[in-house]
Amino acid sequence: MSVVFKNISKRFGDTTVVDDLSLEINDGEFVVLLGPSGCGKTTTLRMLAGLENVTSGDILINGERINDVPTQHRDLAMVFQSYALYPHMTIAENIGYPLRIRKMSPNDRNERINKVASMLEIEPLLKRKPRELSGGERQRVALARAIVREPRAYLMDEPLSNLDARLRVQMRGELKRLQHQLSTTTIYVTHDQAEAMTLAHRVAVMSKGKLQQFDTPLNIYNYPANRFVAEFVGSPSMNFIDGKVDIESRAFLTGDLSLHLSEAQTERLAGQASERITLGIRPEHICILPARQNGAIGATVYVTELMGNESVVFLSLGKSRLIARAAADFRSEPEQNVWVTLALEKAHFFDRSTGNRIK
Amino acid sequence: MKRAGKYLLLVLALLVALTPVYWMLTISFKTEVDHFAVPPRWLFFTPTLEHYADAFVTRSFGQYLLTSAIVAVVSTLCALVLGTLAAYALARFRLPYHMDRRLSLWILSTRMFPAIVTAVPLFLMMRDLRLLNTRASLVIVYTAFNLPFVVWMMRGFFAELPRDLEEAALVDGDSQLGALVRVVLPLVAPGLAATAVFCLIVSWNEFLFALVLTQTDAAMTLPVGIAGRVTQYEIKWGVMSAAGVVAMVPILVFALAVQKYLVRGLSLGAVKG
Repeated sequence: MSVVFKNISKRFGDTTVVDDLSLEINDGEFVVLLGPSGCGKTTTLRMLAGLENVTSGDILINGERINDVPTQHRDLAMVFQSYALYPHMTIAENIGYPLRIRKMSPNDRNERINKVASMLEIEPLLKRKPRELSGGERQRVALARAIVREPRAYLMDEPLSNLDARLRVQMRGELKRLQHQLSTTTIYVTHDQAEAMTLAHRVAVMSKGKLQQFDTPLNIYNYPANRFVAEFVGSPSMNFIDGKVDIESRAFLTGDLSLHLSEAQTERLAGQASERITLGIRPEHICILPARQNGAIGATVYVTELMGNESVVFLSLGKSRLIARAAADFRSEPEQNVWVTLALEKAHFFDRSTGNRIK
Repeated sequence: MKRAGKYLLLVLALLVALTPVYWMLTISFKTEVDHFAVPPRWLFFTPTLEHYADAFVTRSFGQYLLTSAIVAVVSTLCALVLGTLAAYALARFRLPYHMDRRLSLWILSTRMFPAIVTAVPLFLMMRDLRLLNTRASLVIVYTAFNLPFVVWMMRGFFAELPRDLEEAALVDGDSQLGALVRVVLPLVAPGLAATAVFCLIVSWNEFLFALVLTQTDAAMTLPVGIAGRVTQYEIKWGVMSAAGVVAMVPILVFALAVQKYLVRGLSLGAVKG
């Protein structure tokens, strides 16, 4: 099923929750709507489900305008953040509910319920009530209820956010596997950039009701459209240094620091308002050196966080605070002086007034 | 000391609540001579069933009982069906100009004036509709008077229910009414039971409108029938008490049967779970 959002806006009174959103989702695609809370991603999903009215714009499913089609006739399945299992029904009744509404015979219904239950390994739970289940089990039941009737698309609203960390990673993998097996169009809402990166074919990053970028996870990570995307995607977050560019000396100047730029970079920056540029660099592109080297910059350690597999080092560099990734065995004390190099060829430059990346 | 005070208060409250009931119960089994004995015979008297026989065999209290039961049950059902639908709509749908909230308040306002204010207009209306001395008139009036109560109670219960469940039902392919019947109503069943009990009790005990709208034996309810035994020449304490005891039994039995729901209904939403 293909979905097209055409200049969709949603207003509640005076507040605009979704602002002129346009998005095209292909058949069989796994698309993640990513953004901080209040960015309009859930509202977008609910408009597609028919649970919210569209203020302006059109939503098309397979080319057909569905703005005025009531929810129950859209043939979509949704997994809610709260799972929304019917508390008074057994698990089997919960899973069978969409089939019962469609007046499927009890025999066919049971067959489908059992098939889905075995697929998600919840057969032993079928006779129980939702309140007797753990969070992870409820999650599976909610998925089973969505899958059981083979809808045109799955809509998922932060389905993993109520699970503990270990379970979340496990279910994330299973969701990806499931979508691969069923290859049904899936639209998935989350604020967790790790989920977006791992699950999606394409990610739509949203902020304040506006679409910021719609691209593959790798392109989002490597070529963020603007500062918001660059900052939101990636953990730890990208570092930003405000400064200006001196075209003649091919240098990025910030405080007393002068960073040497390549010819290509200078060319790109030449046409820009060179006074107001922000440099963005990911933590993995800052290298902490064991000893002083040519071209290295002096910095002091603010604090180090040991993660086990790596260390995250917070550095003070002039007035800027930078985050760098270091090896797991990196040891340092706060206020210790270290030497770092920035892999400037991997850096991004942003126009400070618009926030857009300078391409 | 604190504990003793607590129990003392409890005993006092029980005495105040139960003494009249006990008095009525004993009167209904005492002979007329014993009714007026001084000092009163609290425990030892010659029991008799003559008042029960008088009330339900000689007089038409059986008829009144039937009328009371029919009127109470039918009006409660009507009020529940209409009130629940209205409450659901008011709890879930946003109407323009905040009409949902204004309507709710307006509905409640019909309970803000004393019942006697409407007694005469209702009498005239029922007379013109040729409904005086019919059970239908009482069913209509009781339904109308219970409706605001049902709407407000049920609106509270619906508002407590997470919207996700109905939305899930809609996405699963159910209609709005289907979601109400299959998902919402089973979940507010305790609230529904509590509301039903209150409606039943109100209708069962109602006196004023029954007195104004019905005068014949065929349409009279128990409270009116009982009060009618106070006449210019005699007061039939025995018959009144016997009828009073019988009137009490159905409500008592029903309340005990739904007690579990009653408590859950009244505290529904107080705790999550």
